[in-house]
Amino acid sequence: MNMDRMAWLAQWVSVESPVLPSPGAMQWWLYLGWSVVLAWGFAAQGQAWPQRVRRVGAALVALWCWVPGPYSPAYWLGMAFQAPSISSVVLCAWLLRESLLVSRVAPPLPVPTDRSALALSMLGVILGWALLLDTLALLPVSLYAWGFSPIAPALVLLVALVPWVLGYRHRSLGPKAWVAPIVVLLFVALRLPTGNVWAAMLDPWLWVLLHGYVVRAAFRRAIRLKSAL
Amino acid sequence: MNLKSLSWRLLCAVLAAGAVLGVDLAQRPLAPVAAVAAWPAVPVSLRVDHLVPMGRGAIPMPPDAPAAHASTLLAMPAGHPAALTVFWFSGERESGPKVQIAASQWDRATQQWAPARFVVNRHVLGAALGFGVRRLGNPVAWMDGSGHIHLFVVATGWGGWAASRILHLRQSSDGNGLQELAFAPVRVLPLSWLWNTSHLVRNAPLPLADGGMVLPVHFELGIKYPLALRFDSRGAFLGMARISRRTYALQPTLLAKTPTEWLALMRDERHGGKVIAARTPDGGRSWNDLPDLALVNPDSAVGGMALAPGQMLLAHNSSPASRAWLDLSGSADGVAWTPLQALEHGATDDDEFSYPAMAWADGSVWLSYTVDRHRLAWQRFTAAAPVGVKP
Repeated sequence: MNMDRMAWLAQWVSVESPVLPSPGAMQWWLYLGWSVVLAWGFAAQGQAWPQRVRRVGAALVALWCWVPGPYSPAYWLGMAFQAPSISSVVLCAWLLRESLLVSRVAPPLPVPTDRSALALSMLGVILGWALLLDTLALLPVSLYAWGFSPIAPALVLLVALVPWVLGYRHRSLGPKAWVAPIVVLLFVALRLPTGNVWAAMLDPWLWVLLHGYVVRAAFRRAIRLKSAL
Repeated sequence: MNLKSLSWRLLCAVLAAGAVLGVDLAQRPLAPVAAVAAWPAVPVSLRVDHLVPMGRGAIPMPPDAPAAHASTLLAMPAGHPAALTVFWFSGERESGPKVQIAASQWDRATQQWAPARFVVNRHVLGAALGFGVRRLGNPVAWMDGSGHIHLFVVATGWGGWAASRILHLRQSSDGNGLQELAFAPVRVLPLSWLWNTSHLVRNAPLPLADGGMVLPVHFELGIKYPLALRFDSRGAFLGMARISRRTYALQPTLLAKTPTEWLALMRDERHGGKVIAARTPDGGRSWNDLPDLALVNPDSAVGGMALAPGQMLLAHNSSPASRAWLDLSGSADGVAWTPLQALEHGATDDDEFSYPAMAWADGSVWLSYTVDRHRLAWQRFTAAAPVGVKP
């Protein structure tokens, strides 16, 4: 391998030239992100309410986040948890849409039957544990810093497309399987929320929820196996 | 193209990943060259063991602020009316809601500190950031290639110091005279996945030959470990590297032995600890732990500075179980240290002289430090003229 190729490879894996979002974009994302997450939270909690009430309520909660200063919930949530990941916002936007469009009572979280979504969720759980161990300096390499490298989003996209590649025999994939590829594309375009691809893919609250999603799927599978015996 | 074929889908996925890589690379500058340390412009004849006291005193405090701690010194450019700017946090008590970042400047004409004023307020920061800042602390100052001052401050979210983040501020005023000095937030530094929590800054950055710098910081949620952050000459964040595998080392101070061989000396949180040391041979890309130094460390911050290759200074607490003694030591290799000056020797263990900061300005070494968490003191040292030479 000649020196030019070595230099290119070094550039691909370099963590020394991160692209970070502008301060204005970060603030905009803080408001937008929490408005979508809280609007979904409101709609999910009010499943028994009339659809019109849910729609108006979710819109008001979303608007409340854009109030400047300490009167906004985004001000306090940002102080504690910074901005949500792109994954959380995309997932909440999708669930919010489902919740507001259908008139029937829908569960607040999707039923874990989609195998590709379940596989990606398990990867998210593992990634979160790895990032937590890295934060506590218990990994031999700095995984978080690697999230600033140019190659990281490309590899994450490859992994995110694995369900689509392996699903060639099926007619189509469920919409959940497209969340991760869309998140990578949004990250490369916007660099939000911090310029690190891991922060775009997964935040600690989403990681906690994924645990519940995976455990529920495992529980359902165990019940199914038991009833088949 | 048959997208129901495995090979076609695989090819599409690889092409998509390649396109993402291409777009990502197009947004980035080339990776920076290896970091090369720079030293202050000191006389070639200067030797740290020839330093003699030139002055000392108190730094004026802002009114109605009985608590003061964690000062940092910034040398100002040659033509500036002030030789130094000092920043610290001050308020009703440490970690109190009224704590702000205060500043004063050493006026070259009057040879005095100007009355202090507050330059950073957490409520103003919260309004600019869009999210709240609960507490402020530990400012560290740096001047970029265009003469703008950058401040890195500890800003807490919900929780105490362990919930701290490092907030990067940049001078927003046209000039950097004390009366007009103002700052605007750039960003919370992206240092961890866990809501960016529990990173703190304390010691001055190591200047680089390219006009950038390396900022030493540490993590302290449960365990404590040090990191080095690199910035370019405009103050843009370039990356991070872990300094030590130890989980009880914090508040590193960086000393350059050669352009690319640096030492990090650190506070030891263990009872009966010594000053902890680590070394990089390659400008901060990789770090190795060294044996602890012979200097005792009563879980207190050290402040160091390399004036030139082989001319290193370290201000440190030298009593084993308190912060009552603050000494200045010198070293040629950063490992073996010789006491040079007794900066403060308190009468009882209840006295506290801590958190030293150091800078080179106007041909002198300047030190500032906390006294009893209530006020700040300063001392100035200059090189004694060699025997037979008139000063």
